[in-house]
Amino acid sequence: MKFNRTALKIAWRESRASAGKFLFVIFAVAVGVGSLTGVRGFSQALATMLLREARTLMAADVSVRLLAVPTPEQLKVVASFDQRGAQSTRVTETLSMVSSRNAENPAFVSVKAVDPAVYPFYGAVKFDPPASLAATLTGETTAVSGDLLIRLKVGIGDSIRVGGVDFKIAAIVTGEPDRLISGPAVGPRVLLSREGLARTELIRLGSRAPQRILLKVPASIPLPQMVEELKKSFPDDQVSDYKQANQNVTRSLDFATSFLSLISLIALIVGGVGVATAMHAHLKQKMDSIAIMKSIGARSSQVVRIYVIQTLMLGLAGGILGVVIGSGVQHLFPAILQKYFQVKADIPLLPASALQGIVAGLLTTLLFTLPPLLSIQKIKPGVIFRRDMPDAKTGWRERLRDGRGAALSGLLIVVGLGALAVWLIGGASREEALRIGSIFTGGLLASLLLLAGAAWILLRLLRLFVAVTPWKLPSTLRHGIANLYRPGSQAESILTSLGIGVMFTLTVYLVQHSMLSEITAGAPPGMSNVFLLDITEEQRPRIAEMLSKQPGLEKTPELLATVSSRMVSIDGVPMENYQVNGKPRRFAGRRILTSADALPVGMTITQGTWWKHPKAGEDWVSVSDWIARALNLHIGSKIEWLAFGKPLRATVTSIHRIDPHRISSRIDFILTPQALQGLPTVYYGAVRMKPDSVAALQRTAYEQFPTVTVLNMADIIERVQEVVNQVAFVIRFISLFAILAGATILASSVAGTRFRRVREVVIFKTLGATRGRIVKIFSAEFLILGTVAGLMGSLLAIAFSMVVMKQLIKVDYRFSPLPILIAIALTALIAAAAGWLASFRILGQKPLEVLRGE
Amino acid sequence: MIDVRGLTKVIDTGTHRVDILKGIDFSVPKGQFVAIMGSSGSGKSTLLGLVAGLDSASSGEIWLDGEEITKLPEDKLAVLRGRKIGFVFQSYQLIPTLTAEENVLLPYELVGGNGDGPARAKQLLDEVGLSDRRDHYPVQLSGGEQQRVALARAFMVRPAILLADEPTGNLDSANGRHVLDLLLSLNAQQGTTLVLVTHDQQLASHAARIITLQDGRVIEDWMKREDVMK
Repeated sequence: MKFNRTALKIAWRESRASAGKFLFVIFAVAVGVGSLTGVRGFSQALATMLLREARTLMAADVSVRLLAVPTPEQLKVVASFDQRGAQSTRVTETLSMVSSRNAENPAFVSVKAVDPAVYPFYGAVKFDPPASLAATLTGETTAVSGDLLIRLKVGIGDSIRVGGVDFKIAAIVTGEPDRLISGPAVGPRVLLSREGLARTELIRLGSRAPQRILLKVPASIPLPQMVEELKKSFPDDQVSDYKQANQNVTRSLDFATSFLSLISLIALIVGGVGVATAMHAHLKQKMDSIAIMKSIGARSSQVVRIYVIQTLMLGLAGGILGVVIGSGVQHLFPAILQKYFQVKADIPLLPASALQGIVAGLLTTLLFTLPPLLSIQKIKPGVIFRRDMPDAKTGWRERLRDGRGAALSGLLIVVGLGALAVWLIGGASREEALRIGSIFTGGLLASLLLLAGAAWILLRLLRLFVAVTPWKLPSTLRHGIANLYRPGSQAESILTSLGIGVMFTLTVYLVQHSMLSEITAGAPPGMSNVFLLDITEEQRPRIAEMLSKQPGLEKTPELLATVSSRMVSIDGVPMENYQVNGKPRRFAGRRILTSADALPVGMTITQGTWWKHPKAGEDWVSVSDWIARALNLHIGSKIEWLAFGKPLRATVTSIHRIDPHRISSRIDFILTPQALQGLPTVYYGAVRMKPDSVAALQRTAYEQFPTVTVLNMADIIERVQEVVNQVAFVIRFISLFAILAGATILASSVAGTRFRRVREVVIFKTLGATRGRIVKIFSAEFLILGTVAGLMGSLLAIAFSMVVMKQLIKVDYRFSPLPILIAIALTALIAAAAGWLASFRILGQKPLEVLRGE
Repeated sequence: MIDVRGLTKVIDTGTHRVDILKGIDFSVPKGQFVAIMGSSGSGKSTLLGLVAGLDSASSGEIWLDGEEITKLPEDKLAVLRGRKIGFVFQSYQLIPTLTAEENVLLPYELVGGNGDGPARAKQLLDEVGLSDRRDHYPVQLSGGEQQRVALARAFMVRPAILLADEPTGNLDSANGRHVLDLLLSLNAQQGTTLVLVTHDQQLASHAARIITLQDGRVIEDWMKREDVMK
């Protein structure tokens, strides 16, 4: 027991004596733990923000979309939820004609009726002039979209007639939170209160007006449970929760949380690698002290105790500092960038997550210090006698025993890290945590083995190269290479740790890069935001001309020829009787068909093949994967439509998927061109406009082409893009943080060899080498080390990124050589710079100072 | 007390083989002062290291106080050293992060000492004339002072055997003389078996017996007349 005090004393005093190195260890742990707590805080904030956005896009937690007025039984179920603390409201949407005294023709509009006292549960309806919904909508007033004012030649304060009843226009609707998931928004918007709708008598029992019941769910009712119960009561209707409301947003959220969990683990590992190299170097330096202690009677366990205490002290200090850094980052960052960030700056640092950070720091430090700690056992007290004697060659039995020890400690680290990973990701589902944990652990294990193997082979090849090369190498290069494989060289361990560092750092970049392009592909900056419907053949050239002259146009307009039809039968079964999984599928409504000769841009075939030479007299169709699922269509299915009285029959030859931002994605059936020949064609247009130019386009289009409907999706698409941009921004920032931390720790791996260099430099200098010569020798050594580690780390990063992308984010990895080349060059430079920095002070030392100190 | 039988030490680096000790036999009775002499590379330090269990022999046996040590595992050897052997090195080998007094106390704490440890450490430091340097760290002491601390440390647990490897080798003659005097007087006081490795004839002349090594073999085993009579 008495030794414990001495152990503590030695541990503490050694820490003081090696303050510089230990500060580095503390820093490495702190960076890891800091990223962990910072990233976790961030990702929680981000999740909250995105979930709130997702709720806003639905204006509720759960929505039930009905095709008809709900039955009294169904209303009872909703009321029962209200009794349990939920809130509900009904939103009715229907198409109607609206007229005014000033305009000759009535306009076809989409009417939406809400309860201003309750709707929306999340987000807000925006008006011009700004006002609240409750103040704007009464039984006698309405709010309409700007384009209707143009069509009906009216202004705020004027009256319009809806369903035979007059309504006073109180404001212009400029934004609705749930516009994106509202029904097919054809025509301008007319917003009414439910009271107003009742006055119009547009909706009667049995009317086929689409309705939505929106619910706000209290914490006491689990969301999935509510969705399940509702699905039972509304079997024919669409029940969805806010997570499914907008795939762009939820996909971004899923990506971001998976990626951020991964990145925080990576930061911790990179920190751990820093700790391992620093502690390894430290223990090498302490070999004499350890041998002395052993020679005067210390057992290995007693010596190990000293260094375990030391490690725990460092881990604890690093953990605490990391938590402080992490919470600083959490607080500072959003405060500075509040402009982009809608999250409140005060993310509380919970004691539990602070403790988790500290424990994670401690465990990582201990795990990574395990190999150097275990090597204490192997230090023979005899080294103080035979320092300059060569090491005896050990027998295969001993080597096997040593190898077993190393393998065991390696396995322990990997398993320990895996468990740590699963524990840290615990927030996600158990399965997901286990999956991420095992991918991570597997990646780490494979990389460690590969790197150690590659380092071993490389050093032997270098030795062989120097021995057999026919060229006369400059002596500085020869010494530099020889430094790598000399006895006592730490090249193998530096290569491994540097390689791991490069691998993880580059993985962060590669995954981030691929993921960002995937996220932005969901809402690309060039996505069409204005749609023009019902353009006739005769109007088409003039519309194209008008659009090309329009100010604020950002992309060439896309025009798609379509034919309106009605589905009659599938495989001979009339649509009235057609069933999927025993349930009738009533797809008897209007269906839009289009045709294409070549495979349209942005379309991928998921099943079957695209036609090359359509046969005369036989028509083929490619159907969207969505409709194929909904109607249970497969290659070979025969579909029949009726278009303008003419029957159309085609065989399904392929199933496709189209980028959601293409106009063609709105059409589920693409036929061979001959199939639609001779049928009246209507065009669909999609344009990308600057959001503030859309009103002008609507005015012009209405003046010149009153029958063409202009749909403005600009504000909605802008909101989606805003969310996506925020996610991308956070990911970029955190990646940058992890990459910088990685670079710092790479530098430390090299700097960790400083102690060995002191002796070398002194001997070189004593033998008459100039500083310049020594710098050259070291440069050669570091550059080789850096390049090789960079190359091996990069190769592993590519492999690891592919696994991560495929398994975790479920997106294909896109290879690009430039970041890899840059990573290799940067690693070489960082290694060289760190080597120089670490050697700089040594170079200035007088030989005798060092020799006396030994 | 010490019994060495057929001891060899071979180092095989894979590329070449060095026979450091080629079959050494001798025994040292309790309380004897033996000097081991020989030129540089004759194997004397290796022999001392093997006797202390600091290194493993290639073949042969070493018996200390009736216990064969060549087959003992590392930790048992450490415990044995802690209880029975004191060691004095040529380059002092103090722990740099401990003070003089803490260095002296260390062996006592390593064996889980119970009793008068701190008092004995103080007394030993007094005896080596460093009572005013107790709180100094090794770097704050001269070479002679460091070796005196090492002496005090070696005697701390009242070892039965004291092994000294060129204890004055790094010191000037005055300091070397002082350290030797202290070593001999402490040895006489404690009745320790002393094995001293040196190539200094003058130093060896104080020993009761001189074993001379050359190329890993004992070439001479000389004993003072009065000791032979004993």
